[in-house]
Amino acid sequence: MAVATTTRNGRTIWYYITLWAVALLFFAPVVWILMTGFKETADILATPPKLIFQPSLDNFQRVLAESETIPYALNSLWLALGSVVVAVAVSFPAAYAFSRWKFPFTDFLMFLLLSTRMIPAAAAVIPVFQMFNAFGLRGRLGMFLLYTSFSIPFSVWILKGFIDGVSERFDETAIVSGASRLHVMMRVVLPQVKPGLIAAFIFNLIFAWNEYIFNFVLGSAETQTVPFGLSVNLLAAGGNVDWGFVAAMSSMYVVLPMVMIFFFQKYLLVGMTFGTVRGDV
Amino acid sequence: MATDTQIRVAPVQEPGAQKTAHGAGRFKLMGWGLLAPVLGFFLVLNVIPTFWLIGLGFYKYSLGRGTPQWRGIDNFTGIIESQEMWGAFGRTLRFMLVGVSIEVILGVALGFLFWGSVKMPGRRLALTLLFAPMVMAPVASGLFWKLIYEPTFGVINAIIQGLGGTKIDFLTSIDWALPAVLFVDIWMWTPFMILMTLAALGSVPAAELEAAEVDRLSFWNRLRHVILPHGKFILMLGVLLRTIDAFKTTDLIWTMTGGGPGNKTELIGVALYRQAFNSLDLGRASAVSLILLIIAIAFTSIYLYVLNLSKNR
Repeated sequence: MAVATTTRNGRTIWYYITLWAVALLFFAPVVWILMTGFKETADILATPPKLIFQPSLDNFQRVLAESETIPYALNSLWLALGSVVVAVAVSFPAAYAFSRWKFPFTDFLMFLLLSTRMIPAAAAVIPVFQMFNAFGLRGRLGMFLLYTSFSIPFSVWILKGFIDGVSERFDETAIVSGASRLHVMMRVVLPQVKPGLIAAFIFNLIFAWNEYIFNFVLGSAETQTVPFGLSVNLLAAGGNVDWGFVAAMSSMYVVLPMVMIFFFQKYLLVGMTFGTVRGDV
Repeated sequence: MATDTQIRVAPVQEPGAQKTAHGAGRFKLMGWGLLAPVLGFFLVLNVIPTFWLIGLGFYKYSLGRGTPQWRGIDNFTGIIESQEMWGAFGRTLRFMLVGVSIEVILGVALGFLFWGSVKMPGRRLALTLLFAPMVMAPVASGLFWKLIYEPTFGVINAIIQGLGGTKIDFLTSIDWALPAVLFVDIWMWTPFMILMTLAALGSVPAAELEAAEVDRLSFWNRLRHVILPHGKFILMLGVLLRTIDAFKTTDLIWTMTGGGPGNKTELIGVALYRQAFNSLDLGRASAVSLILLIIAIAFTSIYLYVLNLSKNR
C-alpha cells in the first residue's frame, strides 16, 4: 500500500513536471527577449548567444530616457483605458435593452456586431482612413472614438450573455414594488453581471493595448502608441536594429496583458471567445 | 362561458389597458434611449465607413493623385484576373489549413494533458506563462521571433550550427520564410486551442465521467459517448474562431517579413495593406476589402449557426 502511494505520488510529480515544462517551453521565447533586454550590445551580438552574462539595466534606462517613449506609453495608456471605460459604459445599457426589450432587429444587430470581429483589420482601415482624412479626424478625438468603437461589439456581446442569464423575474419583482427601470438596471441587474463587466473591461483593454494597424495608419504624434514605436524602431532601422532597445521596450509592454491574465484568469475563456463561450478552465 | 368572461372583464380593463399602451410607448422609447449611444457609434464608425468602402470599390482612386474616377466593376474584374490576388488567397488558404490543423491537433492533445492539472502547484502561474503568447501584442511577438531567427546571432541558428548544420536566414529565404512565420503562428495560437479544449472538457458533467469510470469504458468509448457529445460545440467554435483569425493574420507577418521575400509570405491581409498604402491604389484595395467583408459575413453566419446549435441542444 505504502509502495503504491509512493509510485502514485511519483507519477503525479512527473505529471506536474511535464505540464510545467510545456508551459515554460511556450514561454521560452519571451524569456529570451527578456534576457536580451538585460544584455549589453556586445553580449547581444555574441556568437554563440550567451546564456550567462553580466545583466545590465542599460537598455531599460535608454528606453526610458528616449524622448518619445513616455509619450508613446502615455498614449497607449489613455487610449486603451479611456476608450474601454466609455465602451463598457455605453455597452451595458445597450446590452440590457437588447436583452429585455427584445426588439425584432436584435438578432440582426448582434450579428452585425459579431461580424466586426471577423473582418481583417487591413480591410476596415481603408474606409476609416478616407473618412478620417475627409473630416479631419486624425487627432486625439477621432482615435479615441475609433478605439471605443472597437471595444463596443465585444462588450455588448459579453454583457448581453450575462444579462440574459439574470432572470427577468428580478426586473418584474422590483418594478411591481415600485422601482423604476433605471433603478432595476443599475441596482438590480448591474451587480449581478459584475463578472461580465470585468471580463469586458480586461479583454478590451488588452485588445486596445495591442492594436497596431489602425494606429500605424491613422496615428499622429498625439496618438501613436508603443506598438507603433516598436515597429518604427524595427522597420525603419533597416539592417541596424537596436535589439537591446526594442527588446527592453517590448518586454515592458507585454507585462500588462500578462499581469491581467494572471489575476483574471477565469475570464480568459469568455474574453478570447467574444463572450460566446463560458465555462471553467 | 369564455365570451361571457371577456365581456364582463372588458370594461373594467379598458382604462388600465390605455394606461399600459401609453406606458408601452414610453417603455419602447426608453429602450431606444438605452441603445442610442451604441447605435450612434455603430452608425458613424461602422456603417458609414462600409458605405464609403462600397462606393470606393467602384472608383479608380489613387491616394493623393487627383479626384476619384468612375470605374464600374473594373476593380472587381481586375481582382479576378489578378494573379497576385489569387496567389495571396491561395497562400492564405494554405496558411489557414496547415496552421489551424497543427494548432488543433497540438492544442487538443495538450488540452487533454492539462485536464488533470486542477491541483497542480502554481497552476495559475503555469497557465499564465502558457497562455501568454496569445495575449501579447502581435507586433511584440513578431519582434521576438525576428531576433530569434536572426541569421548572424539568433539563437536558432546557433543551435543549428551547434548541431553541425549551416546557417539559414529564415525570414528572407524563399523556402523558409513561410514555414518560419507559420511556426510563430502555431506558437501563438496553440494555447488558444488548449484553452478551448480545457473548456470543452470542463463542460462534461462530472457525474457522467464518474459513471464512465465505474463502467470501465475504454478511452475511445469515453471520448465518443461521454466527452464529445458535451464538448464538441466548444471545440467547433474554437476551430472556427481560429480559422477566422488565421484568415485575418496581418500584424505578425507585417512585423516579421512585410510579406516578403518577394511575396512568399504575403497573406491576403498583407497584400491588401500593400495595395492600399504602398501601391496607393485605394479603389482596387477597397474592392478587395469588400470581398473580404463578404467572406467575414459568411464566417459570422457559420459561427452563429454553430453557436445556436450548441444553445438549442
